[in-house]
Amino acid sequence: MIVAERKPMAEILSFIQGVNRLLVVGCDTCVAVCLAGGAKEVAVLSAALRLALRERTPALEIIERSVERQCEEEFNAPLAEDIAKVEAVLSMACGVGVQTLAEQFPNALIYPALNTKFMGRPETTGIWAERCLGCGDCVLGRFGGICPITRCSKSLLNGPCGGSSNGRCEVDPEHLECAWQLIYDRLSRLGQLERLYAIEPPKDWRPAHDGGPRRVTREDLRP
Amino acid sequence: MSTVPRLVIFACSRSAGEAFASLKAMGQSLPSDVAWVNLPCGGNVDVLHILRAFEAGARQVWVLTCYEGACESLDGNRWAEKRVQEVQGLLQEIGIAPECVAFRPISPTMAADLLAWLEER
Amino acid sequence: MKSGSRLERLLEAGHFVVTAELGPPKGPEVTVVERKMSLLAGACDAINVTDNQTAIVRLSSAATCAILHQHGLEPVMQMTCRDRNRLAMQADIFGAVALGVRNLLCLSGDHQTFGNHPSAKNVYDLDSIQMIQMVKRLRDEGLTAGGDAVEGQVPLLIGGAANPFGDPFEMRIIRLAKKVAAGADFIQTQCVFDVARFKEWMRRVVDLGLHEKVAILAGVMPLKSAAAGRFINANVPGITVPEAIIERLSRAGRGAKAREEGMRLCAETIQELRTIEGVRGVHIMAVEWEEAIRPIAEMAGLLPRPEPPERAVGPTP
Repeated sequence: MIVAERKPMAEILSFIQGVNRLLVVGCDTCVAVCLAGGAKEVAVLSAALRLALRERTPALEIIERSVERQCEEEFNAPLAEDIAKVEAVLSMACGVGVQTLAEQFPNALIYPALNTKFMGRPETTGIWAERCLGCGDCVLGRFGGICPITRCSKSLLNGPCGGSSNGRCEVDPEHLECAWQLIYDRLSRLGQLERLYAIEPPKDWRPAHDGGPRRVTREDLRP
Repeated sequence: MSTVPRLVIFACSRSAGEAFASLKAMGQSLPSDVAWVNLPCGGNVDVLHILRAFEAGARQVWVLTCYEGACESLDGNRWAEKRVQEVQGLLQEIGIAPECVAFRPISPTMAADLLAWLEER
Repeated sequence: MKSGSRLERLLEAGHFVVTAELGPPKGPEVTVVERKMSLLAGACDAINVTDNQTAIVRLSSAATCAILHQHGLEPVMQMTCRDRNRLAMQADIFGAVALGVRNLLCLSGDHQTFGNHPSAKNVYDLDSIQMIQMVKRLRDEGLTAGGDAVEGQVPLLIGGAANPFGDPFEMRIIRLAKKVAAGADFIQTQCVFDVARFKEWMRRVVDLGLHEKVAILAGVMPLKSAAAGRFINANVPGITVPEAIIERLSRAGRGAKAREEGMRLCAETIQELRTIEGVRGVHIMAVEWEEAIRPIAEMAGLLPRPEPPERAVGPTP
């Protein structure tokens, strides 16, 4: 899932300086699941904004909404009426949702209330960690299901480097495991250690963002 | 109420609620600018409840729960404290003194302390 | 001959080689390079020039190596994967060779979060093993990573790094074998303080016959004081300075006395390493203490350095 977290309040407040009529719109998919931008978070942010601005902008009115998925126009369409009434929109969706709103309502001022961080999973309650950076050419089958591109700080395909210590990555030993220790342990368990003897050739980064912004087209689904 | 509550207390019914009941039995009553909200467990308190209390005009919010180890829901009191800390962080970010919201453990027998806290605030 | 370099000729002739590290200045201040060159000249066979070590921006390894070569010294250029993609790597390699460099050490490189430009973008287009393979292809097949023919020759002795003490332990030999398979001609190891543990690693290296395919140079580092030893234990992953060494430094006293003991310890370590089967040389890393290298080489009985046999055939630098 896409994981995001709320921007600092100071930054959000800087977007809406002088705004009297504001729409705060959340998304009930990924950002709701990581408790950053769902309906509940819309309510909390709106209350915080009103408290923050009650002296500076006493006339502030906030419309609070949330949609199923902000990345699809059909779910955003009913917002048209509210958007017409406000001076600015604070989107609590991930970057995709924010951009969808901006494309759909090009005359509206749309601001992001969240920082979209990564594709990842909840490791445990309250902790989400990055797992996939979308390289476009998945190599997980060769490494026991552990991604060296994403989970190794240096994206090594022939790791580890000299900075692996006690199974931790020296870049952040408190929070990061050494991906290559994980890969070694997993391949060991699976009886596939010989995979590590072959030299992985240089990666073709074209399928990743390095080749330019990407698209997927399914001709069979095109009208 | 005729006056806007300046202090809103979110109270765990099993600890604070009991202490409050003792107070009332002794003939004490809440000051007119204090609102008392009984919760089944301190852990029911939500960030939004606290923020709404401030929006409604409160200057202070207290969250009172059982002491560590005494929570009948095991860790409701710890979650309540986390919610309070979350709100304190948010208030700090928007330039409001975080001490406006306070977390306090209390036991059912602490009616006198409760009275003292109400008088000192 | 792969490169015809002084280092290669000395290794071919069976000498126990000595390399040392030179850290470039944090800017174009050539006088710093000149001062360090004069400290190292004649004290070692070749000089490694670091490449933005610890992700701190310094005068480039290529440029510094060119300066060394102009002064008649033998450089070993270091190149990391952190700051360059395969285009820049190859271009810089061509440039270095054109300016006389004949030895290249291929490294992953410390992550940029450790350095003085932590907000920079990561590159890591290739890893060090892929780089070794790429350089071998440039040299032996005359082909770039993209498959085009190279205009000119790329005579380089190719090096890799090895950490006999790092984790995961089981992977260290696998990785060394991969570097050899990729085309490494020489290996410089992380600094050795625990000679007993290093001997164990070398035994496995010898068992696999890797010592015959690649020249292993054991890394050593002189410590200035007991505090330096403790600092390394606390802060540098993968290196452990045994208590016995810290104790010895502690007993030696302070300041010059401690430094003297540190150099002596380093020299003793070198002498012990010389006796280990498969160790073809030593690599002295005296970080910001290049003054220590000549005294250490002297104490270890490594001076004067031998002259290599004349190159038979080969491209002239």
